[in-house]
Amino acid sequence: MIWDRLTRSVWNAAAPVLVAAALLVLSAAGLPAQEMPGLDRPSGLAGQGLRPYWHVFAAYTIAIVLVIVWVWSIARRLRDVEERLGG
Amino acid sequence: MQVKGMRRWGTALTVLGLLGLILVYWMSFFWVSTEATQGIVQRIFYVHVPAAWTSFLAFGLCALTSGMYLWLRDERLDRAALAAAEGGMVFATIMLTTGPLWGKIAWGTYWTWEPRLTLTLLLWFIFLGYFMVRGSTEDPGKGKRFAAVVAIVGALEIPFIHLSVIWFRSLHPQPVVVRPDGPTLPGDMFATLMTSLGAFTVLFLGMFLLRYALEGLKSELDARTRRAIA
Amino acid sequence: MSAYLTQVRAILWKDLVIELRTRERVLVMGGFAVLSAVLFDFSIDRALVAPQDIAAGLIWMTIVFGGLLGVGRTFHLEAEDGALRGLLMSPAPRDAVFIAKVLANFTLLYVVSLLVLGVFILFFDLELGGSPAAIALALALGSLGFVALGTLFAAVSSGTRLGETLLPILVFPLLAPMIVYGAGATARLLANRPLAEVAGHLRMLGAFTVVAVFAGAVLFRFVVED
Repeated sequence: MIWDRLTRSVWNAAAPVLVAAALLVLSAAGLPAQEMPGLDRPSGLAGQGLRPYWHVFAAYTIAIVLVIVWVWSIARRLRDVEERLGG
Repeated sequence: MQVKGMRRWGTALTVLGLLGLILVYWMSFFWVSTEATQGIVQRIFYVHVPAAWTSFLAFGLCALTSGMYLWLRDERLDRAALAAAEGGMVFATIMLTTGPLWGKIAWGTYWTWEPRLTLTLLLWFIFLGYFMVRGSTEDPGKGKRFAAVVAIVGALEIPFIHLSVIWFRSLHPQPVVVRPDGPTLPGDMFATLMTSLGAFTVLFLGMFLLRYALEGLKSELDARTRRAIA
Repeated sequence: MSAYLTQVRAILWKDLVIELRTRERVLVMGGFAVLSAVLFDFSIDRALVAPQDIAAGLIWMTIVFGGLLGVGRTFHLEAEDGALRGLLMSPAPRDAVFIAKVLANFTLLYVVSLLVLGVFILFFDLELGGSPAAIALALALGSLGFVALGTLFAAVSSGTRLGETLLPILVFPLLAPMIVYGAGATARLLANRPLAEVAGHLRMLGAFTVVAVFAGAVLFRFVVED
């Protein structure tokens, strides 16, 4: 059925999307290197160096990783069950 | 067939949600301004708060469908409860890991018994109990009923947990918390937060439908296997 | 109504008589209480911490852990020889069975909780303060709430492969409000604070207990049905 092939190709499209997401997250490590005119210089927590950046990086990475793992887990289980159903 | 429709909607919403998430990540790194007092670490807020919201939504859905399942005994309600519980656990984990990462920098400690954080921690364990009880019975029907009871009692507890933690926390010297979600959240931060809320919710709904469809297919597989044996 | 009460009384009497004759649970829970107090005493460095400051919390946690021991075995007797099925086939409605079990467990745990209080007063050199009745009330409400949740989930856990080991995971998250209000009230009362300060705590504790008992009574039938 056309719809099923579409669904499968949507999944195949989702993979590069997810890779792009991972790359975006990694690019967050480039934040300190940016010279963006709109950014205020935080004064209160200035003494902490690079640590806040690591925390932000870790937080965003954890979030996307957990989401991706769950998506992948469901996709894998769906594939298994459909195979066994003879889908 | 019902399940195929769920799969299509589920996939569509999931992809939409993932795209929304990428948009949010971009907004949060490259577009939104830095909060003056907390600095760069405040950006975790755009992931932490929507994750919290989604996990509460999931838990509410789980408790509601569990209650209806005990009343109506429709298996589909139980499948919905299971799908919601799984999603709730994922987003609660995100919330519980990003919270201390934010707190350590912004307020100096990993954990401050903040009401929402504490509630989510306890809900996480209630979800854990939900899954453990489901998986450890000889008779799967019993497991479903037990799990439904766990979800319902958990839901009943929420007002008590919330009130008690607020009271508990009032005793402790609190760090001065500059709340970025106070009455005057700047426009770009508000926009980012709302986009993130939308993305997380759409993503959860999509994943929920897919998980629900998966459970439906599993039970069809079980039924076929049993017929083949008989 | 009177038939209902008769049934509750009958099941309650059965459990209490069995307990009086075998004294299994009360000995285990009582021994646990005293030994816990001793170990807690050893665990405190009196140069750093005044025992009176943390006594209330330790009292409540001891009651919780000891209660867990006793409550976990609520349906142990009935698990053997299909006695539970027999009990359920009787004309007593399910919530009557639940209430009876709760009352039996409550009687047991309340006695133990008073013992715990006494032992801690002894070892930690506590003063009962101006309102011992309020402390007794707090312990009563806490014991009842704990026992209601514990009995419901004891029925759940005894139907799983994991048995009683699952009970803490199911019950502990739900006990947070009880500990906050109960230990909070007890701490204040032991420190001789006026009763008005803890009135709110006792009210919340009462509300918690009422909801726990009610929810347990309603949900018990779903747990034990075939």
